[in-house]
Amino acid sequence: MVVRVRVRNAETGATVDMELELENTVEEIIEGVSAYWEKDPGAYVIRRGRRLLRGQQKVQELDVQPNEELELIPDPEGGNR
Amino acid sequence: MGDLLRPGERDDDRYDRTRLIRWVDLERVQRARALVVGAGALGNEAVKDLVLFGFRHVDVLDMDTVVRSNLSRCVLFREGDQRSGRGKAELVAERAMELDPAAEVRGLHGRVQALGPDGLRAYDIVLGCLDNIAARLHLNANSYYASVPYVDGGTEGFRGRVQVVVPPTSPCLQCGMNRSHLKVMERRFSCTGQEAVYYRPNLPAEITTTSAIAAIQVREAVKVLSRRAPIEHVMHYDGLAGTCEVLSLEVDPGCPNHGAGRLSQS
Repeated sequence: MVVRVRVRNAETGATVDMELELENTVEEIIEGVSAYWEKDPGAYVIRRGRRLLRGQQKVQELDVQPNEELELIPDPEGGNR
Repeated sequence: MGDLLRPGERDDDRYDRTRLIRWVDLERVQRARALVVGAGALGNEAVKDLVLFGFRHVDVLDMDTVVRSNLSRCVLFREGDQRSGRGKAELVAERAMELDPAAEVRGLHGRVQALGPDGLRAYDIVLGCLDNIAARLHLNANSYYASVPYVDGGTEGFRGRVQVVVPPTSPCLQCGMNRSHLKVMERRFSCTGQEAVYYRPNLPAEITTTSAIAAIQVREAVKVLSRRAPIEHVMHYDGLAGTCEVLSLEVDPGCPNHGAGRLSQS
């Protein structure tokens, strides 16, 4: 089974549609869209509404609805220099 | 005989305005022992805010000395500090005590990796003002094991994040990390066959985001100490869009700080 979702780039507002298998993980979504948008190397997380998704969570566990929107946001690591 | 009042005496009380915020447990704040790890951009702002808020016992840990490019974001450093050879932590402590001579601020020169759970148990609250994921994970795991609340801050350009971790129930930093965080760490540590090389890139940074994130870290510390519910669990700030959102996170059952064989003592 395949689920189509829309992922929004929080930094640019751009969106891309992704077809996901139930076995796909959140980490794979992050890697897929990061490569598509040629993102700078860095840490990213995915939010779904007001929840942050864990990297190892599978699409099946998330019960993602068709055409639901997820958002890729940078996870800032600086601050001491 | 009743209390004797005289005009203007409330203005003599340094904390009069803070006392008007009923939920703030100022006595507990003043008794609390706070540790700030990192005396750079976030650390400067955090220590300044802690001392002005009324914290009386603050330790600040850092292993670096000042470079001139720090001066655009560090309120407690001065032109010339970069030539003094003095440690950031020592300078922050000295200047913070000028803000309130009643505060005891100690500068500790050292690495975060030297901090273990035994050392951390001496504190009531820990603030992470760091610039890399490995150091954050170390502080996160050891604070959790020591059952000490940990407030982490991070910035990059006009973006920032704050996460509050209160053992033994809340998710920790590691619960929210994924393979992209591990890849960042791998890039920092590369094995040459002889030794590990640590690469620290310069990340974009500016004072307005630094100030906002450090202020939120200190406010969360005050909330925890005043037994008021902190944010649950991660606040993401986008300074360009002018947005600030609190996003929830679940405990990762595979996280070593929580799951079977966990390091933490709950």
